[in-house]
Amino acid sequence: MNAMRPLLPLITLLAAPLAAAPRGDEAAARAAILQRFQAALHADVAGLDRLLADDLEYCNFRGACQTKSEYIGEVRSGVLKYRSIEPVVDRVKLYADTATVLGRVSVTAVRNGEERSVHLLYAGVLAWREDRWQLTTWTSTIVEPTVDTKSK
Amino acid sequence: MRRTTPRNVPVVIATIAAMAMLCGASFPKEPAPGAAGSEPALRAAELKRFEANVNADARALGELLDDGLEYVHSNGELDSKQSFIESLTSGRRDYASTVADIESIRILGDVAVIRGTARVTVIDAGTTRELHIGYTDVWVWKKQHWQMTAWRSARLPDSPVK
Repeated sequence: MNAMRPLLPLITLLAAPLAAAPRGDEAAARAAILQRFQAALHADVAGLDRLLADDLEYCNFRGACQTKSEYIGEVRSGVLKYRSIEPVVDRVKLYADTATVLGRVSVTAVRNGEERSVHLLYAGVLAWREDRWQLTTWTSTIVEPTVDTKSK
Repeated sequence: MRRTTPRNVPVVIATIAAMAMLCGASFPKEPAPGAAGSEPALRAAELKRFEANVNADARALGELLDDGLEYVHSNGELDSKQSFIESLTSGRRDYASTVADIESIRILGDVAVIRGTARVTVIDAGTTRELHIGYTDVWVWKKQHWQMTAWRSARLPDSPVK
């Protein structure tokens, strides 16, 4: 081991990327998106708080945008109550400290007492912060149920 | 216990270096946007893109749109970069005018998000539609310029065409 000692600074330098390796990968980004759907479905406020970034811009299919506290507030109060969420992640792209996630989701939810089922194409942007992926942007467009993103 | 000898030190270093390179390779990194990719530059790119839509400017759109673009129109129709540009150059879709109001721009390293509203007049397969939409689009920093990689929009409650 004594022979290695002079080389420790070099080894440390070379191994630096290894220390950063736990940073989120594609599977973790995919999991974060799916966990966020589950948290919403079960009105898991603590889960949403962990999975949503503080600077979240949450734009729904009506074109209305909310902050993190506004969105969680609706889920907590029951103003927005999800009956079912069936998500599909079509594509995850990793960048330096962010990831984009594109996919489809079928949602049945009650908002202010009115139940509605919709099929959406969504885009999410995740930021790697505090050693986890956090959703910082959500946007979606309502589509017909027959839309097949794989064939276009 | 086996002792580490000077003979196998190069092997240890080479192994660590290889692992480090592999780890680095798993995270695609573009050089940071810097001044060239600042908020005013991104805003200009967004406005240029709307203008290119109206002018059916395939060359400009070719530069401003990411090859992996997923463009979901407010009616739910899905376009790739190729099909979107083709729809404009063929005249199947004609953006007569677009007046955009950018509400926020967030740059998150080499990814950026723009949110806004737009009043759009589009002639789609011969039918003129007046739309008021809310939109969010996602841009990525590639080859020293911004390219839009995702577009989502929704017709606002006061949109002339719902």
